[in-house]
Amino acid sequence: MQLTGKHVVNALPSKIWEMLMDTDTLARIVPGISRLEKTGENKYKSIIEIKMGPVNSSFTGDLQMEDIKEPEGFTLKVQQNSKIGNANAAIKISLLPVNENSTEVSFDGDVKLSGMLAAMGQRLIGGVSNTLTKQFFSNMEKELQSYVAP
Amino acid sequence: MSTNNGKDTSSGYIGKSVKRVEDKRFTTGNGKYTDDIVLPHQTYASFVRSPYAHARIVNVDISAAKNMSGVVKIYTGADVAGVNGVPCGWQVNFKNGDTMKEPKHPLLVADKARHVGDAIAIVIAESQEQAVDAAEMIIVDYEELPCVVDGLKGAQAGAPLVHDDVPSNICYDWTLGNPIEEVNEAMSAAAHVTTLEFVNQRLIPNAIEPRCYNSSYDAFNDNYTLYTSNQAPHVIRLLMCAFVLGIPEHKVRVIAPDVGGGFGSKMFHYTEEALLTWCTRQIGRPIKWTSTRTEAFQLDAHGRDHITKAEMGFDNEGKIIALRVKTFANLGAYLSTFGSCVPTYLHGTLLQGLYTTPKINVDVTAVFTHTTPVDAYRGAGRPEATYLLERLVDLAALEMNVDPVELRFKNFIPPFDGVNQPGYQTQVALQYDSGNYKGVLEKGLDMLGYADLRNAQKESARNGKLLGIGFSTYIEACGIAPSAVVGSLGARAGLFEVGQVRVHPTGKVSVYTGSHSHGQGHETTFSQVVADKLGISMDDVEIVHGDTERVAFGMGTYGSRSLAVGGTAIIKSIEKIIEKGKKIAAHKLEANADDIEFASGKFTVKGTDKSVGFGDVALTAYVPHVYPKDLEPGLDFSSFYDPTNFTYPFGCHIAVVEVDKQTGKVELKRFVAVDDVGNIVNPMIVEGQIHGGVVQGIGQALFEGAEYDDNGQLTNASYMDYCMPRADDFPMIETGTQITPCPHNPLGVKGAGEAGAIGSTPAVVNAVIDALWSGGHKVKDIRMPLTSERVWRAMKN
Repeated sequence: MQLTGKHVVNALPSKIWEMLMDTDTLARIVPGISRLEKTGENKYKSIIEIKMGPVNSSFTGDLQMEDIKEPEGFTLKVQQNSKIGNANAAIKISLLPVNENSTEVSFDGDVKLSGMLAAMGQRLIGGVSNTLTKQFFSNMEKELQSYVAP
Repeated sequence: MSTNNGKDTSSGYIGKSVKRVEDKRFTTGNGKYTDDIVLPHQTYASFVRSPYAHARIVNVDISAAKNMSGVVKIYTGADVAGVNGVPCGWQVNFKNGDTMKEPKHPLLVADKARHVGDAIAIVIAESQEQAVDAAEMIIVDYEELPCVVDGLKGAQAGAPLVHDDVPSNICYDWTLGNPIEEVNEAMSAAAHVTTLEFVNQRLIPNAIEPRCYNSSYDAFNDNYTLYTSNQAPHVIRLLMCAFVLGIPEHKVRVIAPDVGGGFGSKMFHYTEEALLTWCTRQIGRPIKWTSTRTEAFQLDAHGRDHITKAEMGFDNEGKIIALRVKTFANLGAYLSTFGSCVPTYLHGTLLQGLYTTPKINVDVTAVFTHTTPVDAYRGAGRPEATYLLERLVDLAALEMNVDPVELRFKNFIPPFDGVNQPGYQTQVALQYDSGNYKGVLEKGLDMLGYADLRNAQKESARNGKLLGIGFSTYIEACGIAPSAVVGSLGARAGLFEVGQVRVHPTGKVSVYTGSHSHGQGHETTFSQVVADKLGISMDDVEIVHGDTERVAFGMGTYGSRSLAVGGTAIIKSIEKIIEKGKKIAAHKLEANADDIEFASGKFTVKGTDKSVGFGDVALTAYVPHVYPKDLEPGLDFSSFYDPTNFTYPFGCHIAVVEVDKQTGKVELKRFVAVDDVGNIVNPMIVEGQIHGGVVQGIGQALFEGAEYDDNGQLTNASYMDYCMPRADDFPMIETGTQITPCPHNPLGVKGAGEAGAIGSTPAVVNAVIDALWSGGHKVKDIRMPLTSERVWRAMKN
């Protein structure tokens, strides 16, 4: 499944970059994260709760940032497991300055699903990913209001 | 004493639509299925299954699961590494004579998962819920590997290997018919060649009862009992005991009680049956496993999945002069029990069809892929052959601008009864028993009102709908099977059947048959036959099946064989009973046995009114106070019947469809099915079989299909995603019959279980193609199922 989204936010790439690199802020931006724990350089362990139609599921696994080019972007490698199946993804996140005070944040990646998620969830996934994308950007807007560089 | 007093036994049951005796228990919820059986100290199993199509199993951590509440035992692939895998029952050789590749199909995988659903571990617990909960706590560390799901791609160089020791994933390559050089030469002389490249898509069998097994071990007597939702319990016992577990057969009882449908998918020996039986010996308690519906989608052996290129050559008079076929058959990740014979001896051998084609060559490459194993599914190979031929003939008619009916009449094998005229020897190994092929087409055309419909087709094109008429004239090889023939073709078992008839002292009769009923209505049909032959009431006949301890042996039910083979075995025993009865009657009547005739339940001295009833003879056999000196008491005979040939039912299916020009939606307006299944014992049951089969076949044409994504995930493994046909998708099916008796079995029956599913699919697809051509869209093929999107796109291109 292809996962794409883009949104223009009123902030410079450098500020968004800082937010994404801050573990606590990142945890508030990514929808469904109930726990995010830094385990190493650019590596995290996560628990993500996602509601998919009638199914509420908890994913556990690793997130890893690769191909890091500050402040242009990075690739997020995702390996998440759950009772209803596993998800593997490589999502390229790009921060492109639009003008002096705004940035286009975009992501593009391929998600591989397995288990019950693949067997029965495909119908729902499109809708779920649209909802999560909206949440991701609205969370980012909200965080921007209050974010103060550490 | 006579048990027949007051009952009308003279009118006969054969040929009457007697209501099904088994339906009382089924419709009142009193059927007894494997899942209904709960044994003392019962435990329950759940599996950990691979979510990946191809993955190395790096580690299986059961530490958290094994201490969970209710968990009795957990086994992984390492625990059963020393146990054999489940076997394949049919050996097909490579063209060069090498034996096909038979990689191990282990009970649990230890090294690699080779399809989604491959079993990694079994959890046995006090309750079903505890087993499921614990299975979820087992942590498997996978290393995902590249996979291939398509039969054609699987055989290409560089494709990911399913088994490291099977080069290019090729299980075997195989050919049948005339030498390819002869076929090529004939083809090159053709005035017209119709070429069709198509996919016969993968189907999921969807029996209404999911598979279920309950296996137990009695340590005191050192014996096992396996309850199984299976079509052939003796075959399962043989395969499991002799090839997998090495247990003496007399120590194992296999019972297949009421079974809720199979369509082939329950005739195979699945890994779970053997694994449960192995496990129960270890833990000393009964273990039950009931497949979830998702497991049923992912694991019940799938059907079809051929990728084919077929060419049919015609001379300038429209006579078929050559047929050349190349098929890639997807076998899935492992060889299922009969997976190897379906694309070969059940497919290639039927490519003569109903036509006099003088030169035929079929070439099959069977390929392993990272998908669920593929095996026999209602029709098994014969629907694929029929689809191939009938699509070619209708398409050729369109291409040559001739009527598809005329083209068939020109090419049909002339009628032969197999008695006065010999059977028809095909170019592809089989010899047809009897047939009148033009007869069924003529009858179908009468029922249809063909000329009027062709006129309506011209009208229809003007008002937004395209009307199409599609034909399919099919033949199938049923009554499986003459042992010597199938043995020479690679079958590793004989395919005879067993019928025992036990007459009790009171004249009541128990019949023990190796055939198995899981929807076919044997308890009714077989009773009709036995009651008529013995001149007794159906109420006095009991049909016993599905239990290796009660029935001597049996090869089970598949390939439309039950009445033709199983029924004949019963007839053979009845003949022995009548013969012995005559001797007893002769003694009682003080006559010569040669002068006794048996009819309507009475033994009579020819030309006299001296007679004795069947019940009296039965009692005399068991209370032999006045009895012939040289005769044993008792009235109980068993017969093993091995047929001399297959039976060859045939028929004509005609579909009328309307295609919406704007949306591509296909509406089935009429469906005419004229089937010749030989003599008919119960017309209602035969008609029911035809209806069910037709609907299943049309399901393939319009609705069904397993969809794998490139990662090997089956993406429609639920009833929300896999489209099953529904009653409101169909008009009333118009059925007609023609009867050409089978010349080589005493009932003259040919078999009706698969006919509907074999004939109907190409008729519907041909009708849609015909509709499109009538609107000027010269489309050769649309991939099944013909969804409105696919039909719409075909019209747009």
